[in-house]
Amino acid sequence: MTVGTRFGSDAAAPATRVDAPWRRRLRFFFAVLRARPSFAVGYAIVGSVILVAVLAPWIAPFDPLKADPSVYLLPPGGRHLLGTDGAGMDILSRILYAPRVDLTIAVLGTLVSALAGGAIGAIVGYYEGQRAWRRALSATVMRSADVLQAFPVFVFAIALVAVFGQSVRSIVIAIAFVNVPIYLRLMRSQVLSIRQLRYVEAAYVAGASDLAILWRHIIPNAIAPLVAQLSINIGWSVLLTAGLSFVGAGVVAPTPEWGSMIAMGFQNVVTGQWWPSVFPGIALGLTVFGFALVGASIEVLADPARRRILSGSMA
Amino acid sequence: MMPLVRYIARRIVFVVPQLFGIVLVSFFLVKLIPGDPAVMMLGPTASAQSLAELRDKMGFTKPLLEQLTHYLADVARGDLGTSWQTTRPVTEDLFQRFPATLELVTFGLLLAIAIGFPLGVAAARLKRGVTRKVADYYGLLAGALPDFWLALVLIYVFYTVLGWIPAPLGRIDMAILPPPTISGSLVIDSLLAGDWEALRSSLGHLALPVLTLGLINAGPILKMTQSMTERTLSSDFVRYAEMCGLPRRVVLRQAVRAALPSVVTIISVLYGFLIGGAVLVEIVFSWGGAGQYAVQGVLNADLNPVLGFVVFSAVLSLVTYLIVDLIYFALDPRLRA
Amino acid sequence: MVAAPILDISDLWVSFPAYRAEPVRALKGVDLAIPPGEFIGLVGESGSGKTTLARAAMGLVPPPGIIERGQVLFNGRNMGQIEDEARRAVLGRELAMVIANPRAELNPVVPVGRQISNIVFYHLSVSRAEADRRALEMLRAVRIPDAERRFAAYPHELSGGMAQRVVIAIALACTPKLVISDDATSGLDVTVQTQVLDLLKTMVAEKGASALFITRDIAITAHYCSRIAVIFAGEIVELAPVATFFERPAHPYSITLLAAFSHSPELRLRWTRPPEVDAAPIPAGGCAFAARCVRRRERCLAEAPLLRPLAGGRSVRCHFPVDESVT
Repeated sequence: MTVGTRFGSDAAAPATRVDAPWRRRLRFFFAVLRARPSFAVGYAIVGSVILVAVLAPWIAPFDPLKADPSVYLLPPGGRHLLGTDGAGMDILSRILYAPRVDLTIAVLGTLVSALAGGAIGAIVGYYEGQRAWRRALSATVMRSADVLQAFPVFVFAIALVAVFGQSVRSIVIAIAFVNVPIYLRLMRSQVLSIRQLRYVEAAYVAGASDLAILWRHIIPNAIAPLVAQLSINIGWSVLLTAGLSFVGAGVVAPTPEWGSMIAMGFQNVVTGQWWPSVFPGIALGLTVFGFALVGASIEVLADPARRRILSGSMA
Repeated sequence: MMPLVRYIARRIVFVVPQLFGIVLVSFFLVKLIPGDPAVMMLGPTASAQSLAELRDKMGFTKPLLEQLTHYLADVARGDLGTSWQTTRPVTEDLFQRFPATLELVTFGLLLAIAIGFPLGVAAARLKRGVTRKVADYYGLLAGALPDFWLALVLIYVFYTVLGWIPAPLGRIDMAILPPPTISGSLVIDSLLAGDWEALRSSLGHLALPVLTLGLINAGPILKMTQSMTERTLSSDFVRYAEMCGLPRRVVLRQAVRAALPSVVTIISVLYGFLIGGAVLVEIVFSWGGAGQYAVQGVLNADLNPVLGFVVFSAVLSLVTYLIVDLIYFALDPRLRA
Repeated sequence: MVAAPILDISDLWVSFPAYRAEPVRALKGVDLAIPPGEFIGLVGESGSGKTTLARAAMGLVPPPGIIERGQVLFNGRNMGQIEDEARRAVLGRELAMVIANPRAELNPVVPVGRQISNIVFYHLSVSRAEADRRALEMLRAVRIPDAERRFAAYPHELSGGMAQRVVIAIALACTPKLVISDDATSGLDVTVQTQVLDLLKTMVAEKGASALFITRDIAITAHYCSRIAVIFAGEIVELAPVATFFERPAHPYSITLLAAFSHSPELRLRWTRPPEVDAAPIPAGGCAFAARCVRRRERCLAEAPLLRPLAGGRSVRCHFPVDESVT
């Protein structure tokens, strides 16, 4: 938008545009995508999966829950592009509907764990090593996190789902529980190294309250690795959800979900009908792959040192 | 020698409260799992009286705290309770099943290291080229694929289509007598006994699950090796070594050696994770491992196996971390100061 | 009969490309020739280009930096275009660097004696036993007390001064023709610094090598160097024999540097230009030092000065050098 479009073009005005910082960042972002096509692939995959989740009712050729026994175990091709499973449900439609469940669970669970773990980690990291009772508190929290992380993840998740009853909500809780220690540790180590920096000391001396220091100075600078971890974690949570559904401790059949679809097609694989299990697995792997790529790109973009190396190679 | 002994002693002191905490949390967690074990054990047609008798005998009617102390005392004695599904003591069940899991996880991780480590080093050395691209994508893809799915695909290819592998049912052909148990690993025990038939069968059954775990876990090992080697290759002392004109392979060796601690860390983390995390592969191949045992316990409200498994695997994890710390001690002279 | 210079830098331009901006020029047309046996000091502030110059001399300009123009010849070889293998043969053997911050740059998991022995082993193709022997000799030569025991010590077990001596031992182990010392003594106590520098000078003289002594501290050069070069913003602004330089400095920046060590506050004040708040930016194309020069005039803003010879064996990059007199 050049100067003076509203009142007619101003030919005498200088053609230089001072870009708003957000626009500059956006342009840099797209240049990075061009320079690193793998990142672009990641964003494309994640974008498509989100789109599919939203648009599923309109783009799926069949009702994902409609079981037509007369067409069971049809090989891919024809009306059923990816074939049908043992109950006669169209595989393509179920694959398209699955992200609704998987993504919701994964995103919710990861966000909850990031917020909770990040908050606790920030407090622990900030107060660690200071006055006595606070030191004891942070030690207790860290040892509790150790205990939590010593649990076999999968068994722990199944146990949580069993305790809270098999529902989407309990899977979200399970994922949140399992991931909290990760964000807790990450945020704590970030806060520990940032709080030694001069500008934090300056804010403290200037009389800012602990909360203000944390909120305005420390957390904005600590948050980058957590955001990178978020994306990778979402991918991994989708895998966990699928695994839970595979053993029957996840979503309730016949809800379309990639893991339970693989479970349903389990016996068929051995007898030669591979498509009910293989296609959902490909979709699952691609989705997690996309999230991992996005996470890798955030890692590079959020770290000033690596960003500089990247822009140097792009110059 | 003394600093080493002191170090180990310090670590063990830490381990005890951690173990206690784990048992505590799992006890309460497991007690929360719904399902009446008495009903499960006696069946739906049991009379109310026999149900009440059983509950009383099993101690379910006592207050929780008393149950907890009872359980802790048992654990201290080495008694992990009985599984109502197998009707055998949990300790026995675990001793039978853990070697299966360990055999699987150990061989799987060895394969993963064999694939991931060299590729990671190669990828760190080469800035561009085919090898680098392959390594980059493999690292990400391997971590993204679901292990149970890959297992199914491998079964389809190698069993259903090619017929190279025996049916995925357990660790050894049912018609063959397993060798006497020495190490718990069928492969090793067959070797030790000179039983070639058992060796062939157990190897055949081991092939696909190990391949699955190896291919998938090579990913994180590759990525960690690559990123740590890259980081050390650009570190100060490597730059200095370049400035001194040391040959390229010497510099590379020094960089890799400096990256080893992180790689060892992630291998140990993976090992601890896989003890419970290989469950899905165990289920697909009907492996009869400990993770499978625990999952069945959860799904059927059979509490003692779950508790026993958690305690066992926690102990194993802590022992693994201790060993890893000892390896660090050996690798890095700075720690000995 | 003038021997060919061991290090011949001519019209060297090194720049670092930047994303969507002008590349950063670290070195702009540097000329420097070091004859064999000479101990020359290079003085400049942080960011002046000293380290880039040192790295370019070794053929190790850090990426993404590139040599835009000019060349660096070491012993006749073009270091900007040398292949990896050939460069590895030269570095550490004929051209060595003594680094600052040795404890960060020595390998933390290899004993120091072994690190010296490695250099000898890989460069001189002798047996490991012979390399170890020579390494021990070097440890004694740099006067590390209790050398036999210290041979097996790790870098973190040594003090700063001792680690610095180890690095000198590594640099001199293969009797190089040129030793570059990059700020090798900053961070050391003053007494240790003197010891280390004395040592360096003696050993360099004994082996008949040349030395390029890079520092931020101009005072040291008076004691150890025969010639001094002052670098500012990527350009050599003065080049002179040491005695002449300290008696009659020519470039305003040189005087600013010297004045910083002077005991007279008036002198310091006279030679330091106060920062101006609303000043118009110096147009590119003028003298790089003009923004801070107390003697600047119109011509300085418009035209960049070239390095030109003055009497007394000096060269100065200034339109109005402070001292043009002859003696």
